[in-house]
Amino acid sequence: MFSAPENDSRPLFTRTFGLRIALWYATLFIVGAIAIVFLTYVLTATSLAQRDRQLINGKLGQYADVYQRGGIDGLTDVVRAEQRTAPERLFVRVVDRFGSEATVVAMPDGWDPASLETGSLQLSDGTLVQVGKSTEAREQLLARFRATLGVVTLSIVIVALAGGLLTTRSAVLPIRKLTQAVQQVIRTGRTDARVPVAGAAGDAINELTTLFNAMLDKIEGLVTAMRGSLDNVSHDLRTPLTRLRGTAEMALAGPVDLDRYREALADCVEEADRVMVMLNTLMDISEAESGAMQLTREPVRLADIVSRAVDLYRDVADAKRVTLEVRLRPDSTTGGVGDVVVMGDRARLEQVAANLIDNAVKYTPAGGHVDVEVQREGGYAVLSVRDTGAGIPADELPRIWDRLFRGDASRTERGLGLGLSLVRAIVEAHGGTVNVESQPGQGSVFTVRLKPDTT
Amino acid sequence: MRALLVEDDAAIAEFVVRGLREGGFSVDHAADGEAGLTLAIEHAYDVAIVDVMLPKRDGLSVIDELRRRGVMTPVLILSARRSVDDRVKGLQAGGDDYLTKPFAFAELLARVQALVRRATRAPEPTTLTVDDLVLDLLSRRVTRGDTSIDLRPREFALLEYLMRNAGRVVSKTMILSHVWDYNFDPQTNVVDVLVSRLREKIDRPFEKKLLQTVRGVGYVLRT
Repeated sequence: MFSAPENDSRPLFTRTFGLRIALWYATLFIVGAIAIVFLTYVLTATSLAQRDRQLINGKLGQYADVYQRGGIDGLTDVVRAEQRTAPERLFVRVVDRFGSEATVVAMPDGWDPASLETGSLQLSDGTLVQVGKSTEAREQLLARFRATLGVVTLSIVIVALAGGLLTTRSAVLPIRKLTQAVQQVIRTGRTDARVPVAGAAGDAINELTTLFNAMLDKIEGLVTAMRGSLDNVSHDLRTPLTRLRGTAEMALAGPVDLDRYREALADCVEEADRVMVMLNTLMDISEAESGAMQLTREPVRLADIVSRAVDLYRDVADAKRVTLEVRLRPDSTTGGVGDVVVMGDRARLEQVAANLIDNAVKYTPAGGHVDVEVQREGGYAVLSVRDTGAGIPADELPRIWDRLFRGDASRTERGLGLGLSLVRAIVEAHGGTVNVESQPGQGSVFTVRLKPDTT
Repeated sequence: MRALLVEDDAAIAEFVVRGLREGGFSVDHAADGEAGLTLAIEHAYDVAIVDVMLPKRDGLSVIDELRRRGVMTPVLILSARRSVDDRVKGLQAGGDDYLTKPFAFAELLARVQALVRRATRAPEPTTLTVDDLVLDLLSRRVTRGDTSIDLRPREFALLEYLMRNAGRVVSKTMILSHVWDYNFDPQTNVVDVLVSRLREKIDRPFEKKLLQTVRGVGYVLRT
């Protein structure tokens, strides 16, 4: 029925879709993480530099004091004493006011003067006191910190990518299942595949899955109904076609006789007409049952429908000496008579009424009654057809709605056995119900209940 | 009267052509849409009967093209599909009437004649006459010879329909849709019953029988 391109069997869309989502997620995650790491590093580095600067400034003030009071020797003593106990060694230098003579008070071994963080303080006589601190330790600390942060960032990237792939995979999985189910339906033409509904009720994917399954249900129903009606039609057409062929064949095989030919041809035309009516009715029934029947809904007064149908059968009933009467019962709520209105397809509802009256008149013997009633009862618009006919035996009651079922009593009458099936199909297509009560020997009541039009 | 039939099924074409000729038409037949279109443009037909499913060019497009070129020949569409949609599509394309296959030839003839009548705007008669049976449409009185006949409304409607189609066979389906405005087949033959009631009144008391049954086809009023 359908054909899918070969290379479409791979769920390419869902795969790239999932990958795209995973990459987006990972990118955002990584950018966020790197920003945090960078900020941490900058803050740490500046706070370390600030601490050094404070130390240097403190020492500068102290050493300037010492220098002013004790001169270069006093400063040298103090610095040496301090450097013996203090954990941090410093570079100290005094430059005279002409900048020509610089006395290095303390210079730790192996220090590179270029990698020093230094501060200077100019005294009132123009002498410059300088204090320096090596940044080597700080740089080492920051380098270790950078290495750690690098490792952390790398693991964040890995975690982000893996996590992104995993989450989107689980999010995309139901979509992929859905895709697979659709592909299976398309490939095989079988509509009995269903996608398992998983996850919390009410989530979007779940809803989609449920809807998709519901759609498949509907399609399957239609396909089954179509197949069923096709089977029925081909089966139901065999009998009349056999009759048709037989009649023509017998006429041709017999002696040449114009009257016989005429008779046979007339039989054939009648049989062909019967086939046509049967075909149309079977189509109507299948359409109504599958929901494919087009109903032109409008407000319809049941009394109008009934009076037209009764009018159609008036002469037939008279000829059979059956009394055919319409009773419009007052509405139990409004008290009005004959204003029971339903939303429905006028022509189809007329067909319902006509078929029910047709049956009633057909199976009611001379002198009997057929009463057609319209009323509003128990919230329904009710149309009932009551006859004083032969009634239907209890064992036949459930089967009278079946296509082409004809009760023992009905076999002698003209008809296809489709009337009641059509009645039920049309009524149910309108959302109504039809049922029957019957007393063999006394008569039957067919009751159609439809939703009244309240507007 | 000239009629054009565009139909690709040879058997259907044969019986329609023969039937129309017997009905007084001179008939041309085309077996595909292109040929049909050419004929319809080159000749002035009083009516055309066009099948929807045709080789080379489908019926609806033939009608469309005809209307586009200003050819206003009335068209009866034939179709094997019976859905309302198809009917609407056919009429929208410019068809004037629509008939579903399988059809009774009597109905096709009646519809074709109705199309021709409508197109030529024949003046509406006020009395219908078949032999000595006279139906006055204004006073709604029916007489046969000197005898006045009392008819009930449905009987009157049936007689009027038969008299308007005097000499032509009308099918039960046509009667059902004209007299009762019902378009489905009731299982009991209500038409038979009405016809026999009418026959009681217009034929039974008289020697010459006008209302005849054509078995398998329908009824005809003829002298």
